[in-house]
Amino acid sequence: MISSALPESRISKISDSNGIRVFKIKSDKFNTNTINICIHDQLIKERASFNAILPSVLMRGCVTFPTSQDIFMELENLYGAFFEYGTIKKGERQIIQFHIEYISDKYVNDKINLTEKSFDFLYEIILKPLLEHKVFRNEYVEQEKNHLAKKIRSRINNKNQYAISKCFEEMCNGEPFYIYEKGSIEDLHNIDSDNLYKYYCSLIEHAPIDVYLCGEFKDDKIKYILSKLSRIKRGSKLNRIEPPIIKKEIKKVKEINEFINIEQAKLSLGFRTNIPPNDDSYYELLLYNSILTGGTHSKLFKNVREKTGLAYYVMSRLEKFKGLMVISCGIDSSNKEKTFDIIIKQMEDMKKGNISDYEYESALKWIETGTNSLKDSQLNIVDFYISQSIAGTEDSFDSVIEKIRKVKKEDLVTLSKSIKLDTVFFLTSKANQL
Amino acid sequence: MIINTIEYKNINETLYVYQHKSGFKAFFIPKKGYSKKYVAITTNYGSIDNAFIAPGEKDITKVPHGIAHFLEHKLFEKEDGNAMEKFSLLGSNSNAYTTFNQTAYLFSCTEKFNENLQLLLKTVQSPFFTEQGVETEKQIITQEIKMYQDNANWRVLFNFLDALYKNNPVKFDIVGTIESISEINKEILYKCYNTFYHPSNMAMIVVGDINYKELFKQIDENIKTFSASPEIKRIFPIEPHELNKKYIEQKLEISTPLFQLGFKDSIVIGKGIDSVKREVAVKLLLSMIFGKSSKLYNNLYGEGLINNHFKFDYLLDPNYAFSILGVESSDPEVVRNRIIEELDRIKYKGLNRKDFERIKRSVYGKFLQMLNSVDKITYNFISVCFKEVNMFDYLEVYNGMSYENIMEVFNNHFILNNMAFSVVNPV
Repeated sequence: MISSALPESRISKISDSNGIRVFKIKSDKFNTNTINICIHDQLIKERASFNAILPSVLMRGCVTFPTSQDIFMELENLYGAFFEYGTIKKGERQIIQFHIEYISDKYVNDKINLTEKSFDFLYEIILKPLLEHKVFRNEYVEQEKNHLAKKIRSRINNKNQYAISKCFEEMCNGEPFYIYEKGSIEDLHNIDSDNLYKYYCSLIEHAPIDVYLCGEFKDDKIKYILSKLSRIKRGSKLNRIEPPIIKKEIKKVKEINEFINIEQAKLSLGFRTNIPPNDDSYYELLLYNSILTGGTHSKLFKNVREKTGLAYYVMSRLEKFKGLMVISCGIDSSNKEKTFDIIIKQMEDMKKGNISDYEYESALKWIETGTNSLKDSQLNIVDFYISQSIAGTEDSFDSVIEKIRKVKKEDLVTLSKSIKLDTVFFLTSKANQL
Repeated sequence: MIINTIEYKNINETLYVYQHKSGFKAFFIPKKGYSKKYVAITTNYGSIDNAFIAPGEKDITKVPHGIAHFLEHKLFEKEDGNAMEKFSLLGSNSNAYTTFNQTAYLFSCTEKFNENLQLLLKTVQSPFFTEQGVETEKQIITQEIKMYQDNANWRVLFNFLDALYKNNPVKFDIVGTIESISEINKEILYKCYNTFYHPSNMAMIVVGDINYKELFKQIDENIKTFSASPEIKRIFPIEPHELNKKYIEQKLEISTPLFQLGFKDSIVIGKGIDSVKREVAVKLLLSMIFGKSSKLYNNLYGEGLINNHFKFDYLLDPNYAFSILGVESSDPEVVRNRIIEELDRIKYKGLNRKDFERIKRSVYGKFLQMLNSVDKITYNFISVCFKEVNMFDYLEVYNGMSYENIMEVFNNHFILNNMAFSVVNPV
């Protein structure tokens, strides 16, 4: 059952029962072990706010540690274990994540048993919440609703980030991907301690759950973890998560302007790549993206920043699971057309195969270095495998690099024809409002 | 070639140190099994070094705000193209950043380590400034400045520093202003370069799975200066103990107000092990009073007055020292008053010894976690490398810290008259 002869950073499934899968990732170079628990759900409006608020309510107290102060004290007792929780969105799926990183048993007195204690900590927080009148404590739920509502409103505070995520949303207006990962203020209003607790119970019973163990785990510790997991009461039918629709024909490019008080305008261009994450051409897309916006070697860095001085930053974000790409930069609002033209011209050049050897080579190496570097962080290793699992691919770090190395310039020409502009989102100063 | 080896057996780490005859210091920390190799060269020169007497001169040279950062951008430009492109071809990610007191150049790679190393050493030793290049860079940095003007976190910080200090140049934005950078030309850049980029004013750290003998040989062969170091006279204005302002406010397009408050330290020990002791003591106090396991944090959080992004820090340098804490809050003034009440309470009742022991234990674990990341090691190492101490000294100081030490520091740091308060409100 337990294989210890795996190469560094390779994953193996060590258990799969009742819809709870447990994976082990071997690595002994780190000072720490990590345990990551993911609860998966379909991204839909009715449930998004429930999923978004749930981990922060659980973090307010459990039977063993009834207040968040008790919880944080326990983390300090566990030698300052790093603990993170939250709800993220990957494609049209929401994932509630809990992640703990604690120092390996070799650095502390053996009797302390940090692995069992850290796992117990997660287990208690997720599965033994503090209840009052058989539901979540009302005070905690109301306070967390208030906190989450403020966080939803404060998206605007980070303008660079806002310009990108708003562009993604505008592109997908009417599709599930439109839904914000933190939910919406209107839906939050409908949450109370009673319906949230009922929702929580059904989620724990029916949601697919993945557990990732990364680091050095002795066999008896794994046995301990598996035995505790097998005690979770699960329903007979598990929720199914449908993959998103990726291909979409664009009839007319959407143009959206938003006016706020800012010094620097943000131009974001949203594209449909029409490429699913499990398609071979996904690796071509990675290389395409690297050539266009990857790093200092990229066409846009050179042409939007170095040659013309139009922007300090120009970047892109790929949404792997939904097949989207947003390019975004900060510019003077008067340079909107000029910048737009330069970006489109660079993309047209790629359609014609105007890719220099320098661009191709550097872009390839940029991905190789980036991919190899992921192996130096446990958080990144786990995230890489979560993404593989969602995409339905079984790549390793090495096989990703191998596949990208096989991509030729001609492949990029073919690929670039499937990338279509969908939305132009322009965040600009109120002074420009007519 | 003399290489010093320092072993830290209890945490399984080793530090190698080498000093070139020019005065350039190189450090190496091996990380076995890691793919990524990280290298940073840093100059003891940052945004605060705006007035100096250049070696061999008598008069004070005053330079525009933001020039250290401007120089950082332009040092990548070379006669045969941009050095960043060469790093790209070698498959590495190069970058640079400027702080109040340092300019750092770095790369990370997984292959072709020696070529990358040579390129970085060459990049920092061969300036090539042109009028044309300087002018284009002004446009790029103007966009960078505008980006920061919209960034509420950045603004609340520099407003806070402006409130703390009357004259100390730490109050000026690292990137300068659109007006100040317009005065920059290639002559001033060369003068700053020639003054501050002597190898004796620089240091280097390498982290990763590398053979150290080969590494130091490479470094030795690629440093082109052999002469002794000229003296740099840095001129800093006299800073009074008092604050510039108690309160400062700005309006920006945000949804919730944002605040920073903190204490201007009247005790400034910027170098040596005593500076580490002061830093560690204040940081332990901040964790005990404002950390997530503190009563104050949990009360404020429960009342919805702060959120879980609440952060605190303590910065010290030979020229300044201050604590800083803040977050988004619907009512910054109430939070400020509650902080004052809590500090007052501690003044009379003291802190809990159990909390102190628990937080010390937690710091040990956090230090080991930090040593997992070549990026974090590099960053933490260079940030203290001109203070005549090294990153590993912190662990020892943490272990040796007593409850009595920190209570003494509590009484001479958290002085209400030294507290400044900066708020950014929604438009």
